[in-house]
Amino acid sequence: MATETLTTMDPAGLKAIGAGLAVGLTGIASGIAEKDIGSAAIGAMAENESLFGKGLILTVIPETIVIFGLVVALLIS
Amino acid sequence: MQLLQKFKRGSSKKAKPKGHANYAYTTARVRAMKSKILPKETYPRLMNMSINEITRFIGESEYKEDVDELARQYDGVNLIEHALNRNLAVTFTKLLSISEGDVNFLIGEELKKFDIWNIKTILRGKYCNATNEEVLDALVAAGRLSYTFLSDLATKTTYEEVISGLENTEYYPVLKDYDGTNLSDIENQLDKMYYAGLFEAVSGSRSKDRKLFAKFMRMGIDVKNLITLFRLKKANIDNPGMMNLMIDGGLKLKLKDIERLISLSFEDFISELENYPYWDVISDVASPDMVSLINVESRLKKYRLKSAASFSHVYPISIVPIMDYMLNKENEVNNLRLIIRGKAASLSDEIIKEQLVI
Repeated sequence: MATETLTTMDPAGLKAIGAGLAVGLTGIASGIAEKDIGSAAIGAMAENESLFGKGLILTVIPETIVIFGLVVALLIS
Repeated sequence: MQLLQKFKRGSSKKAKPKGHANYAYTTARVRAMKSKILPKETYPRLMNMSINEITRFIGESEYKEDVDELARQYDGVNLIEHALNRNLAVTFTKLLSISEGDVNFLIGEELKKFDIWNIKTILRGKYCNATNEEVLDALVAAGRLSYTFLSDLATKTTYEEVISGLENTEYYPVLKDYDGTNLSDIENQLDKMYYAGLFEAVSGSRSKDRKLFAKFMRMGIDVKNLITLFRLKKANIDNPGMMNLMIDGGLKLKLKDIERLISLSFEDFISELENYPYWDVISDVASPDMVSLINVESRLKKYRLKSAASFSHVYPISIVPIMDYMLNKENEVNNLRLIIRGKAASLSDEIIKEQLVI
């Protein structure tokens, strides 16, 4: 009689994968969003240095996406 | 890297634009540059100043560096004229050097206007035996051909040498037919080549912003054709051979429309124009008994500037805001030159005001 080995996935592991995806994907997303804003901010700053403050704030606005991801990851794990 | 790109593109016309197009960076920077263009309110103020005051005003504005640089060689009106030219060249070559890939390619195509302008200047200079200094004064090295290269060409003694100096450029196939007499014909062909090149550059992509750019460009062609038509009609020329002067590819005025318009008398031409959308722009200044075309021309140019600005709001991250800036910059330089030259020739304020495109 053949013995059947049962493999089950560890829920803790799945949670960890979910949390990883939440941070990783949102990180990529905010990176993509910040790319254009950041280069535009640098462009504007090259001509007018006083735009540094505004440029910096606008550049980090997409950071919210990855912060949400981090929150979700913390909630999951 | 960019130098390498430029070098590569310079040698073969069909070279594809290399590198990633940095639209966000270029448009944001160009918009910041546009904020430094003199506002409308400045011109009435400039009109009330004397030449020395204007010189000082320009010397303290964006043109400071250029004025300082050239102050050793020139003075007075000539100094301002050269500073304006130099600033235009520096600004436009800066656009070329801050852009990459696709943007760089399109700006380069647009700036070929200056390359062609410079080649024409040199050939005209040789045609009427102008001195080297006179030719060098009129060069605006804002395109892909560098000032060193152009000034080298200008020192050549005959037009044959100039043309053989341009052997490696894309203009050679047109220039090689120049025999010393058909200058206007060659100039026309060069202009047509410029527009053909622009159309080719635009047709490469089907994206929406490129279509908008094409529309913007074709409107420019319409304005140019209309101005030529007005001048021809005013001078009572209805020779069908003049169709040579017209540029193909207009937006609202197709070649066959122009062909019809060109055979009419001035009165009929004006009344026929009422059927075209541009009539709204010029309706209150164009009439069959008008004496001067200045109003019509500045109205049309103003219309083009306005439409460029509104186009650039439709696609903020595209080539259009950059073209809008280039148009505005050129216009600013033209206006300043007009004021300073007008004042130097002691024209009345009304005449100068009429000519300004604000």
